[in-house]
Amino acid sequence: MRDKIYRYIGLIIVCFVLSWAQSPYAESTTPREYLIKAGFLYNFAKFVEWPDDAFADGSIPLNLCILGNDPFGPALRSVEGETFMGRKLIVRRFSSLREIDSCHILFISSSEKKRLPAILDRMKGKQILSVADMEGFARRGGIINLIKVKDRIRFEINVDAARRAGLKISSKLLNLATIVREDGGGGQR
Amino acid sequence: MEFYIRDIRGRVKKILILAGLCFLLLSFPVHALNDLNQIDITELSLEELMDMKITSVSKKPQKMYDAAAAVFVITQDDIRRSGVTSIPEALRLVPGLEVARIDANKWAITSRGFNGRFANKLLVLIDGRSVYTPLFSGVFWQMKNPVLEDVERIEVIRGPGATLWGANAVNGVINIITKDAEETQGGLVSARIGTKDRGSGSVRYGARVGDDAYFRVYAKYSDRDNSVFASGSEANDNWDLRRAGFRLDWRTPYDDSWTLQGDIFTGNNSQTVTEPYLYAPYSRTFEDNNEIGGGNILTRWKHVFSESSDMALQLYYDRTEHEDTTLRENRDTIDIDFQHRFAVGESQEVLWGVGYRFTSGDIGNRFSVALEPDNRNDHLYSAFVQDDITLIEDKLRLTLGSKFEHNDYTGFEYQPNARVLITPDPHHTIWAAVSRAVRTPSQVEHDARINTEVVPPGTAKNPSALPVLLTAQGDDDFRSEELTAYEVGYRVLATDNLFLDIATFYNVYDNLRTLETGTTSLEPSPAPLHLVLPSTVGNEMNGETYGAEVVADWRPVDGWRLQAAYSYLRIFLHLEDGSTDTISESAEEESPRNQFSLRSSMDLYRNLEWDMWLRYVDDLPALNVDSYVSLDTRLAWNMRRNLVLSVVGRNLLDRRHPEFGTPLFVDTLPTEVERSVYGKIEWSF
Repeated sequence: MRDKIYRYIGLIIVCFVLSWAQSPYAESTTPREYLIKAGFLYNFAKFVEWPDDAFADGSIPLNLCILGNDPFGPALRSVEGETFMGRKLIVRRFSSLREIDSCHILFISSSEKKRLPAILDRMKGKQILSVADMEGFARRGGIINLIKVKDRIRFEINVDAARRAGLKISSKLLNLATIVREDGGGGQR
Repeated sequence: MEFYIRDIRGRVKKILILAGLCFLLLSFPVHALNDLNQIDITELSLEELMDMKITSVSKKPQKMYDAAAAVFVITQDDIRRSGVTSIPEALRLVPGLEVARIDANKWAITSRGFNGRFANKLLVLIDGRSVYTPLFSGVFWQMKNPVLEDVERIEVIRGPGATLWGANAVNGVINIITKDAEETQGGLVSARIGTKDRGSGSVRYGARVGDDAYFRVYAKYSDRDNSVFASGSEANDNWDLRRAGFRLDWRTPYDDSWTLQGDIFTGNNSQTVTEPYLYAPYSRTFEDNNEIGGGNILTRWKHVFSESSDMALQLYYDRTEHEDTTLRENRDTIDIDFQHRFAVGESQEVLWGVGYRFTSGDIGNRFSVALEPDNRNDHLYSAFVQDDITLIEDKLRLTLGSKFEHNDYTGFEYQPNARVLITPDPHHTIWAAVSRAVRTPSQVEHDARINTEVVPPGTAKNPSALPVLLTAQGDDDFRSEELTAYEVGYRVLATDNLFLDIATFYNVYDNLRTLETGTTSLEPSPAPLHLVLPSTVGNEMNGETYGAEVVADWRPVDGWRLQAAYSYLRIFLHLEDGSTDTISESAEEESPRNQFSLRSSMDLYRNLEWDMWLRYVDDLPALNVDSYVSLDTRLAWNMRRNLVLSVVGRNLLDRRHPEFGTPLFVDTLPTEVERSVYGKIEWSF
């Protein structure tokens, strides 16, 4: 009896090893890095408050826009349809700058690096939370920049830019962020 | 030939069955677990996201694991998935801790030896508030029962933590940390009912006030059923508790955070007490009820000066009351604590602090336990300084520090330690430490007389005509117990998904408590006339303990975690020449030599969780308690994002088993732990 039990345990182990060996790691369509970054986007939507006039009326959804090549793939699917402050989140993908006016969160893909000055210029005076993962993005006037620190993702917040955009960023986000200012100093809390 | 064919047929059949089984297993959980995209990113907190490695899931669990000490952290996830319903049960998750249930509302909990209901070498804090009673330097665990859903984590240090935490942190520190109010926004209703649970529930609601402040209010009720004696008959050890409280967290974006929290509780826990009696039959056993209650309020202010400098100021008041046939205690404690951290140059970080604690114990004396004086105010002054020196950046760190304190029993005490942390690369950590810690006398050891037993007259043990009353007595000359601990540990992130943690220790104790037999005298009061044979506390024992605790944390695939822990402990105690103690050495055999546990946490599909928890605890020869194996399992269904149903089965392998013996000093009858099942519903909004 005991032998049999051992045999079954052995079998179970073999099965696990087999199934592990043939696991579809490679098929995973979103790179892990962007899966994590998608999680950050979700949290940004959660911990940022837009002024009421950022939405024409109560039925306007929260638009999360991706400008340029979408690096997230299917990762944003689970975010889509979530409600934030009573508004459904909708993901939209654009390649043209003209369309960003309706966005509440704008993720600027690194494919748009070259025209960053134009993008930042276009966003002036708009109540848009700009997010990117480019070096110096926050210092140059973007609001949140996702950065790699060793093996992990951290984020910088330009509080001046946030204020200008009329956005209220929760202290929870601010506490976890590296605070960046535009005077070039860039303090750390 | 026929045999041969039959044989082949048998084999084919077997192979088919095996292949089928294999197929089932293959198609069952593992595939669903593998795909990284199965992680619901919306369920991860910012902190979790920040802790995730880009390359793979980080298995080196928390920053705390960078400490040069034997550290273990129970996370909220561990608490939830283990299906535990109280803090003592949660502590069973910690490798090397000894957790034994005496009856349904009493536990014997310690780290690295010397267990008992009145175990006295462990420091326990809830949100920075010390909750062990100076009465006997132990913890009334039945009073410490926060809303488990609101516990963020429990940090446990095995071994001395005296430099930072102070006296009593001799063999370990348990730090229960509840969530910041910002983390508990919205409502949560949870209810539980089961074979040993008459019905328990908690309600919590959290919201935001103003721009930067958050609060939560909560109430909790729990009612546990009686368990059974070894004989199988129903015991009288039910336990109910009502608790309500709040927490308010306020912070400015940059520099300051402020916490105000408090709670009140009241409850009853039943017990069966055997008390000595001066008339025949010289002892009486009766059902007793212990009424417990209390409250506390705490405030903490943290200020950040710069990245390398901050401070914290904490103030609390705590009131604890309990009353049963053997004793009444009303205690008030006021504590103020200040800490400051700053950097010196590039490579040194200094942490220092001062504290003051006032505690006032008002004791209601009874026949069993009486204290003289029965009302006492004590003052504790403490200071500590610790220097964290980076000798080689990212590779070698040295920590030197000492606690200094002054108490009303033994005066000045110092508790230094030296720790070194070597990290040759980010995956390996080697640490070593030498520390001194003291366990200062408790009020009972100083002032009490406990009547433990009456030896009837005219028996072999007592041939005289008068009953002999045996007592245990405190003594003003009782000194602190001392420990010098030597520890070495090793942690390795062997592969991306396998984390190993090994801690070893060699502890040398001196001035351990003994009970020295005195001389018999005549005592007329209380009537009838009787003889008294006192045993007085002394410091006539020394000893060594050594052992190891090993943890392996393996995540074979995303969504499946296996955690194995093994601990080994040996205790050697030696009475000094001339000691007349007869019982203290038995502590050698009152702790399990081997303990083993294996936990499996599996996310079956997106919304199903399945957990198993197997534990082995060695026998306790001095208490006549056999070794036992227990198996708990939990199946949870996340029906909707905000609705979770779960079923938990506990101690499934046997109908019942004992975990501990009769406690020393106050004789409450131990009961057995039974197989049980409960169901739970959790609704958040």
